[in-house]
Amino acid sequence: MKPKDDTNNLRNLAEKIVHYGKKQGAEEIEVTLYDGLEFNVDVRRGKIENLVEAGSRYCSLRVFKDKKAASASSSDLRLPVLQTLVRNAIRRAELTQPDEYAGLPVSATFKVNENSLRLYDPEISRMKPKEKIKLARAAEKVALQDKRITNSFGASFLTNEIKSLLVNSNGFAGEYRQTYCSLSLDLQAGSGDQLVEDYWFSAKRHLKDLASPEEVGKKAVERTVRQLHPRKIRTQNVPVVFEPTMTSWLLAFLFACVSGTAVYQKTTFLEGKLGQTIGNRLVTVIDDGLLPGKLGSRPFDSEGVPTQRTVVVEKGLLQNYLCNTYAARKLKLVPTGNGNGHSVVPNNFFIEPGTTAPEEIVSSTQKGLLLTKIIGHGLNPVTGDISCGAFGLWLEDGEIAYPVSEITIAGNLGRILKSIELVGNDLQFESSICGPTIKVAEMTVAGM
Amino acid sequence: MTNKKIRVNFRKKLFPLEWPELKKLMDLALSKGGEFSDIFLEYRISRSVLMEEDIIKESSENLTRGLGLRVIKKDRTGYAYTNDLSDEKLKQVAANAAAIANSSRSFCSSKQFKTLRPERDVSLVKGFPTSRPLKDKLDLVEKTYRAAQNFDPAIKKIQVAYTESKQQIWLVNSEGLSVLEDRPMVKIVAMVVAEKKGRKEAGFSGGGGRVGLDYFSNNLTPEKIGREAAWEAIQLLEAAEAPAGEFTVVLGPGHSGVLIHEAVGHLLEADFVRKKTSILWDKLGKKVGSEQITIYDDPTISGLRGSYNFDDEGTPPQPTLLIEKGQVRGFLQDLLSAQLMKCRPTGHGRRQDFTNWPLPRMSNTYLEPGEYQPEEIIRSVKKGLYVSRLSGGQVEDSGKFTFSASSGYLIENGKLGRPIKQATLIGTNLDILQKVEMVGSDLEFDWQTGTCSKEGQEVPISDGCPTMKISKMTLGGIK
Repeated sequence: MKPKDDTNNLRNLAEKIVHYGKKQGAEEIEVTLYDGLEFNVDVRRGKIENLVEAGSRYCSLRVFKDKKAASASSSDLRLPVLQTLVRNAIRRAELTQPDEYAGLPVSATFKVNENSLRLYDPEISRMKPKEKIKLARAAEKVALQDKRITNSFGASFLTNEIKSLLVNSNGFAGEYRQTYCSLSLDLQAGSGDQLVEDYWFSAKRHLKDLASPEEVGKKAVERTVRQLHPRKIRTQNVPVVFEPTMTSWLLAFLFACVSGTAVYQKTTFLEGKLGQTIGNRLVTVIDDGLLPGKLGSRPFDSEGVPTQRTVVVEKGLLQNYLCNTYAARKLKLVPTGNGNGHSVVPNNFFIEPGTTAPEEIVSSTQKGLLLTKIIGHGLNPVTGDISCGAFGLWLEDGEIAYPVSEITIAGNLGRILKSIELVGNDLQFESSICGPTIKVAEMTVAGM
Repeated sequence: MTNKKIRVNFRKKLFPLEWPELKKLMDLALSKGGEFSDIFLEYRISRSVLMEEDIIKESSENLTRGLGLRVIKKDRTGYAYTNDLSDEKLKQVAANAAAIANSSRSFCSSKQFKTLRPERDVSLVKGFPTSRPLKDKLDLVEKTYRAAQNFDPAIKKIQVAYTESKQQIWLVNSEGLSVLEDRPMVKIVAMVVAEKKGRKEAGFSGGGGRVGLDYFSNNLTPEKIGREAAWEAIQLLEAAEAPAGEFTVVLGPGHSGVLIHEAVGHLLEADFVRKKTSILWDKLGKKVGSEQITIYDDPTISGLRGSYNFDDEGTPPQPTLLIEKGQVRGFLQDLLSAQLMKCRPTGHGRRQDFTNWPLPRMSNTYLEPGEYQPEEIIRSVKKGLYVSRLSGGQVEDSGKFTFSASSGYLIENGKLGRPIKQATLIGTNLDILQKVEMVGSDLEFDWQTGTCSKEGQEVPISDGCPTMKISKMTLGGIK
């Protein structure tokens, strides 16, 4: 059971399946194996509520025959089972229709690895369960000492160690390990029928980069209690300031609209807009898979395409769509290392920070909404329309006046990108999609 | 007898474990002082077919096989899982889960197993969809696709996805319960984009449930799914911006069940109640809504997506009365919450798969029909909004919830007017439940394509609702 032998076993298994697929008549075959270890502890009101410790493996594969594709996956890694899945996939491919764009990418070499990208932290595997439990307890304790916090959904500490291994019939073979750790806390304040809730978290690849329990605890308290005693407001059009978590939410929507898959499927309003101005000069958006230590970094994507830095929007100009191999072929573009099976995922997708401090952005707003939380799913990539439930703080004369709730915000992503007035300097990488504080000239905020 | 023999064989084939081994595993799991333990074995096969750009583009097949082991001590849960069923791994899993209890000795040991069988099967299948030839499924996909394509020349893009699954579970617990269940599921979903004069809109439709493929010839044809999706997209091309502010809202039957799911269902899940985070935790027996409202959650309705013969803890489920004439009458219980609250489990302990422990969840949640004719309800509104289709929603424990109206009309002087674009509605449950003024007689269930997400776990559900009128709600349109 030495880890090294185990790696060889997985590599052997992947190679065996590739070989078997070729023998059974697949022209191309791609095999991915994942080996993961998960630890999670939930602490609530000082006591351990849930404790999970588990390991699991997973295999996914794609075959191509006569330009016809089929895929399969399994958590049962016994060789005969995987061989059956390969045979079934080839038979299914034969029954579908040819697609001239289907197939594996041309084999490329990647120049980075888990070390140069700082993807793996050995401290995480050395960490004892006791220490992990202690971190979760400490974060919650900070919060429960605050009298304004009336209930807790609990604090969680989670770690993941994942090994990914990819072998295909074009001669590609690569693997890397990565770690992930997060500390989060979810709180409630208020009493009777007047309850408010919010959370805070820190998520990193390296333990030493993680925010302290005190920091997470204090931030969660602050975010929760600032919503107490909300007022209702009249329906009006006002400037909206997005907190970094809300900018990330908006960017996730933008990502869905610049994904090559959505473009060839015509399900995005940004289809056909390459080379055109879609935002103002403040809007520069990057996807970068090569930032050391960041959550969205990886040496190659799910198809073995090396990751890269891609300028998606440069000073308002739409420069690139993010493509897997299939979308790139359909659109006559190049793959950008964003592949994830049939779909496209962000690596580190962010808006370039500006120079304005978030406090200055707030003080520049005579009347408006500081958007702090979204509830619901009202995003339409086909039109760019946004209509969501929202929470926030009302701004008057450049200062936070009072919390507001039971409101909705509505607008259109296309119009928002053209009316961003300020971009903050507070970009943090706590998720693979992230942005700083931004100010949008006008959205409809509906209340009474 | 024959039936029994087949079942045992299937179990052996899928899970190479015998009862004595499972008993030994549970005793090991309880060796640190745990009070209860259960083992959830799962074998699931799911397949999908996708058609777009006029060709069958992809098909996939996914196998899930694994074991999850839980140990409970008081209100604490230890959980471990594995997809490697080797002796060594299983012992490690039992030891990991056992660690939640930190005593040096065992207080309980597992009892002799007794297999519980369902009285009837909630699945409406003659043959499992997973056993039918691929060609039948390609045919359904193609028919759906062509119906959407031929609906209107403005239809520019169609995507049709067929998915099916068969989940086979074997659950045993330290009280001696053993339960086996086969759960089929099938779904067809169509997404369509229409384009005219530079304007684009999307439309959706779908259907399915715990049914066989015959459902798509007898109940809901693929042609109907394709046409409905196309109709929605075409209609939205002419839609005006939704207005912003407070309006009287009439919700159409079927999909409006999302409101019941978000505003009531989640807040009566027993874990949120016993932790006192739900705004409804202290409202049992109290009036929280209008007389018009009576709500059930029923996992035993034949063929529906949220139905099951046993929940994922082996409890036979019961139709559960949640709200009666505006008064809170019950909660959705799993074993742990029921034990801690000294209540009977209602059979609502569900989990996404073997990597997760069960939580109290909804199954098929619906609002009982009232006395009004749907036309009568629309006629009663001078100025307002008719929502014909709702898509997803979300709720906080504090009771604030939203849902998205994906298609609707203005109501002017008791008549439906111009169609409006998609918009979100927001409210607080205690407030909105008081404002339900009329409930129609036309109870319908939704399309049977819904999934509910809680703490990262997704389970299939369905919602049902007749036409209803809410006197005032905030709509997130454009001013």
